[in-house]
Amino acid sequence: MTDVLTPPATVSPSLSDPARAVRRKAVLRWIAVHALGVAAALFFVLPFVFVLFTSLMSDNQALTRALWPHPFVWHNYVTVFRTPGFLTWWKNSLIYAGAGTALTVVSSIPVAYALAKFRFRGRNLSLMMVVATMMLPPQVIVVPMYLFWANQLHLTGTLWPLIIPMAFGDAFTIFLLRQFLVTIPNEYVDAARVDGCGELRTLLRVVLPMAKPAVAAVALFQFFYCWNDYFGPQIYASENPAAWTLSYGLESFKGAHQTSWNLTMAATMLVMAPVIIVFFFAQKAFVEGVTLTGVKG
Amino acid sequence: MSRLTRLCSFVAAAASISLLAGACTGQSGGQADDDPTKDVTVNFWHAWSQPNELKAINSDIAAFEKVHPNIHVHVVPNVNDDKINQALRTGGSDSPDVVSSFTTDNVGKFCSSGALADLGPLLKKSGIDPAKTFPKPMLDYTAYQGTRCTLPLLGDAYGLYYNKDAFKAAGISAPPRTMSEFKADAVKLTRSQGDSYAQLGFMPDFHGYESTPAHYVAQWSPTYFDAQGRSQTAKDPAFTKMFAFQKDLVNSLGGFTKLEKYRNTFGDEFGAKNPFHTGQVAMATDGEWRLGMARDAGVKFPIGVAPMPVPDDQANTYGKGYITGTIVGVAAHSAKQNAAWELVKFLTTDTNAVVDFSNAIHNVPSTLDALKSPKLVSDPNFKTFLDIAQNPNSNTTPASPNGGQYQVTLQDFAYSYEAGKATDLPTGLRGVDQQVDRDIAQTK
Amino acid sequence: MTPLTLRAKRRRSALVTLGFLAPWIIGFSVFFAYPLISTVYFSFMHYDGFRPPTWNGTRNWSYVFTQYPFFWPALRNTMWLVLVMVTTRVVFGLGIGLLITKIKTGTGLFRTAFYLPYLAPPVAATMAFAFLLNPGTGPVNHLLGDIGLPQPGWFNDPSWSKPALTLLALWGIGDLMVIFMAALLDVPKEQYEAAELDGAGPWQRFRFVTLPNISPIVMFAVVTGVIQTMQYYTQPIVAGKVASGIIGNAGQQFEPGYPEKSTLTLPQLVYNLGFQRFDTGSACVIALILFALAMAFTALLMRRRGGLIQAGD
Repeated sequence: MTDVLTPPATVSPSLSDPARAVRRKAVLRWIAVHALGVAAALFFVLPFVFVLFTSLMSDNQALTRALWPHPFVWHNYVTVFRTPGFLTWWKNSLIYAGAGTALTVVSSIPVAYALAKFRFRGRNLSLMMVVATMMLPPQVIVVPMYLFWANQLHLTGTLWPLIIPMAFGDAFTIFLLRQFLVTIPNEYVDAARVDGCGELRTLLRVVLPMAKPAVAAVALFQFFYCWNDYFGPQIYASENPAAWTLSYGLESFKGAHQTSWNLTMAATMLVMAPVIIVFFFAQKAFVEGVTLTGVKG
Repeated sequence: MSRLTRLCSFVAAAASISLLAGACTGQSGGQADDDPTKDVTVNFWHAWSQPNELKAINSDIAAFEKVHPNIHVHVVPNVNDDKINQALRTGGSDSPDVVSSFTTDNVGKFCSSGALADLGPLLKKSGIDPAKTFPKPMLDYTAYQGTRCTLPLLGDAYGLYYNKDAFKAAGISAPPRTMSEFKADAVKLTRSQGDSYAQLGFMPDFHGYESTPAHYVAQWSPTYFDAQGRSQTAKDPAFTKMFAFQKDLVNSLGGFTKLEKYRNTFGDEFGAKNPFHTGQVAMATDGEWRLGMARDAGVKFPIGVAPMPVPDDQANTYGKGYITGTIVGVAAHSAKQNAAWELVKFLTTDTNAVVDFSNAIHNVPSTLDALKSPKLVSDPNFKTFLDIAQNPNSNTTPASPNGGQYQVTLQDFAYSYEAGKATDLPTGLRGVDQQVDRDIAQTK
Repeated sequence: MTPLTLRAKRRRSALVTLGFLAPWIIGFSVFFAYPLISTVYFSFMHYDGFRPPTWNGTRNWSYVFTQYPFFWPALRNTMWLVLVMVTTRVVFGLGIGLLITKIKTGTGLFRTAFYLPYLAPPVAATMAFAFLLNPGTGPVNHLLGDIGLPQPGWFNDPSWSKPALTLLALWGIGDLMVIFMAALLDVPKEQYEAAELDGAGPWQRFRFVTLPNISPIVMFAVVTGVIQTMQYYTQPIVAGKVASGIIGNAGQQFEPGYPEKSTLTLPQLVYNLGFQRFDTGSACVIALILFALAMAFTALLMRRRGGLIQAGD
């Protein structure tokens, strides 16, 4: 796209010497760039490969220098699934990520729309507050929040303290959606209003269909955020093993005295797998989402 | 149903910012006036997680439910102290009535803050005299400043493991009894190889898994706190002597840098490639559980076990060691304290229960009767640990109102001292004392 | 229109606006404003979760600044991470972004390979690296040993633990790669052509064309990197737990920072004080320090003209 570096198929004999030199330089550059690419790819891919192979080794082999499993112990994955609690962690992660994503998206869309398309006093201030909360580490408010959930509502040790706040908008989601909605020309919105649509109808019928890719992107982000979240479950759910999520449970998996690397790596694979599968199905939405994070200013 | 009411109260609460003052602190009254003969379910949280351990504790509980058919036990396994601490503060119907922890570190916190109920009155009511029931060292680590809020539920004792083949090859006939013999043997067992080792006699670094400052210093019978509860590691010569000995041992085995480099080649402590299993070290200090782990790992050489050696000037106390253990107590906010107490009483004092549990998970039994029981499966190696546990000079790290914090402080200093980052021992130990005192003051 | 209906209309539209914003307003008050005020309140109280809170004056503040042994190491580590981890991440991300724009064969494959690690759940990624970098039995040190290089202690050595975390952060470079890639493709081609006509070499083209064009993005990457560093929690705490062998091991309580405080970060202090020591007051002091730092850098980010916040109509 930016310059012409396609590999030359054949070198035409009629080329003059300078042209050949240019060609040769191009070939060399192609080789250099792709060699570098392969080296980088190894850095990114090899850890996955090691983890996968180790997850298929026997307990003892995982500690040796061997790189290739011998024999392949597929049973490791069965063992992991049979670990008490593992299926519960899965279920909890799905509930947290599923409900969390749905609630976040539903509650954030109207807010983002208002911030993008309504004119009202304090709009800029509101937007700045959204950005500010987005940047805040969750640890800033966790102590009183924990006391609130624990002492007022007695809901710690459940998934509720993780899920309920999602029904009240998420700063990051609101911000990303707003960034996208701003780019929708006002004419569409105005036309709908002129046609007598109320704001809600305008949002649902006109704006949302145009914003589908952005909604998909923020939904994905939120799903991943919940799935990967470690701090939240550690604080609010950890005191009750029935409420552990995968990210949190995985950690306890390695602990219990002799649990070995091969099983730990099998469990690690199983935690990574859903994220990677989702990615392959939604690659495009993803990359679009990342570029939405405010770079296209 | 309760979830809905909770949600309503959530909305109501959200409406009132007056919540500020609302760090509701009331531990709604726990009491011991429930009727333990009624049908009741007791939540029991414990830390065991291995399949064989779970099987053992579950059969223990089944035995209890047989004796008390009206009390049902709901078990939550694999919880650590952070979670117990959190849950004891929150209360609620899912929170534990009986908690058990692998560490004694938090006994001071549990007792002084009132998180766990005082078991004194309950023991009295049941006609149990702790002094006649439990070994003294175990009684010490389960109470804090006269408040007995926990009881021992099996114990751990630390001793010296040695590789008998390596001993034979080095011409050593018996395990060392004094620290100077220990050092001589460690040197004899060490074979250097380039800038590493073919075999190391003993890994003396404080990071060397169980060779922690607290475990070392137990052999000098230290007193961590003075009568006013102030830290006195600088005043009690036990600490200074221990540090001097460790430094000397490190230097005679090749120096800190070389040892650390070697330590980095070790497998995980609780894995099959523990350096003692692999023969990388010929001696190691460890708890009685290592016997079972070594067996599971398929260790080839014969293993010998002895008490850790003692300082030369305390040779008459040979046989002592560092001990610790699992503790169990009743949550102060539990509304079922009598039923909970029945469970605790059964687990900790029923001789058969204690013996069976000990046999199943290879820990040291925690009552005097159980220690003497003919049913106790005991080979000579295990017997060594039983003796260490009962030795009157065996000791442990005392309870403190902020848990094991003071040990961490000492440990941190020990790391920088052995690494040469801190060189002045008396000043360093005074710094440790100050830090410990400040941390304790901050909890008050 | 009569003034009356106009006013009614205005009131109506104000209500509609309020209605749309309602989730956020509630969320902001309950899950942000209230706890923030409460955090300030608790920072002056002594509260251990059992006994009622009591007024503690500024004791928590002086404890944290002058006596709490974790505070300064955590701040120093954060500085280190800002200087080294953020910088290497930006440089590496830009490098990978450049590389991917130059790759012409199998672009999609390469892009996926480079991006995928970013998606690995932090706990899982950290566990994987703790295994790969295990000093005694990990494959990385095996390989290093084979080619005769020194074998560091990685997560077990206080001077190598932060570099190991940096390596882990570089592995998850996917986010920066995509951002830089998009920015690089946006650089007008004519500028490169003009530069080439002027006889500019590759380095000069990068220096005088690429960099000025993407400098806002570099700035964005740096500032968000710093903010992320303020939130750095999961990776260091999990790495410390796995490497120390204390992870989930119910017998021992894990003190964050292993080895030797070298992986402490401010968010971990909130956990240590608030949920391990139950010194609620001091935990809130750390939380407020964290708040101040994060806000300072966010202000920096928002001051950038035409940057983060895209102008509305």
